[in-house]
Amino acid sequence: MNNDLINILSNSNKDIDNQKLMDYLAGKLSAEEKHEIEKLMADNDFVNDALEGLGEVNNKKIQDIVDQMNMSLQKKLKQKKIRKEKRRLKEYPWIYLAIAVILVLIVLAYYIIHRLESGQ
Amino acid sequence: MTSDRYQHISDSALLENFYSDKNNQWLGILLQRYTLLLFGVCMKYLKNEEEAKDSVQQVFLKAIAELQKYRVEYFKSWVYMVAKNHCLMKLRDRQGRSPAQLPEQTIGPEEDIESKENHLNKDRLLDAMTAALDELNKEQKQCVTLFYLEKKSYQEIVDNTGYTMMQVKSHIQNGKRNLKILMERTLTNK
Repeated sequence: MNNDLINILSNSNKDIDNQKLMDYLAGKLSAEEKHEIEKLMADNDFVNDALEGLGEVNNKKIQDIVDQMNMSLQKKLKQKKIRKEKRRLKEYPWIYLAIAVILVLIVLAYYIIHRLESGQ
Repeated sequence: MTSDRYQHISDSALLENFYSDKNNQWLGILLQRYTLLLFGVCMKYLKNEEEAKDSVQQVFLKAIAELQKYRVEYFKSWVYMVAKNHCLMKLRDRQGRSPAQLPEQTIGPEEDIESKENHLNKDRLLDAMTAALDELNKEQKQCVTLFYLEKKSYQEIVDNTGYTMMQVKSHIQNGKRNLKILMERTLTNK
């Protein structure tokens, strides 16, 4: 009891277990586990807001929605990566081309100067 | 739900990995941990499944873009703020009003009074807490006691007291906040 009194002000910084939250919404938790989640809610506006919002969605649909959103996140990240790689491929030929042009110019310049000098 | 093989890596370690090799996959793992919570937050504010789903995707994109621009120390609080601001903006577009936006870059860790208390004698701390609890108004004291000391669930407190769920939650949250203020006052006076 005494410890409980002091513990009121200690924020639980535990990681949030998504499965526990789902079980909480489905009413599958024991009284003790339920209290743990509610303590997390009282400590943390993020969890509190989230559970309030999720309470308005059909329980069985939530997992599908989350999977769907995760998949499209992965897709977006992959697209970004591909775009980046393409950009890299496009950037390199320019560099090679520039080096080749400069080399050709140097050789040409050397050749022309040489010809001019030997002509005089 | 989350990629299990990365479960042992903390949020801040994932961010560190991202900052050192700029590989978006780390952000993917990190963001997926919060998909459920973010969807819940968006549902709370927008009250519409499709809009909420759409908003979570936009929050993801915003997070990916912002995290490349500046360093974020407390990801959980930060991403919550990004989502909340996004929803508030959407609501403003809906209603044509402008609620105050919360600054995203100045987010600190969740405060914890315990560290300060550790230096204090436990008995004195207990006295101070008891006194502070007595100073709360009747409703807050009742709800805080039932919740933290008697470990009742929200629903049980609703049944016991006749308050609504909303009232119970706010009495607990406000009670806790007031307790903290009272305790901080006591601690600084000593």
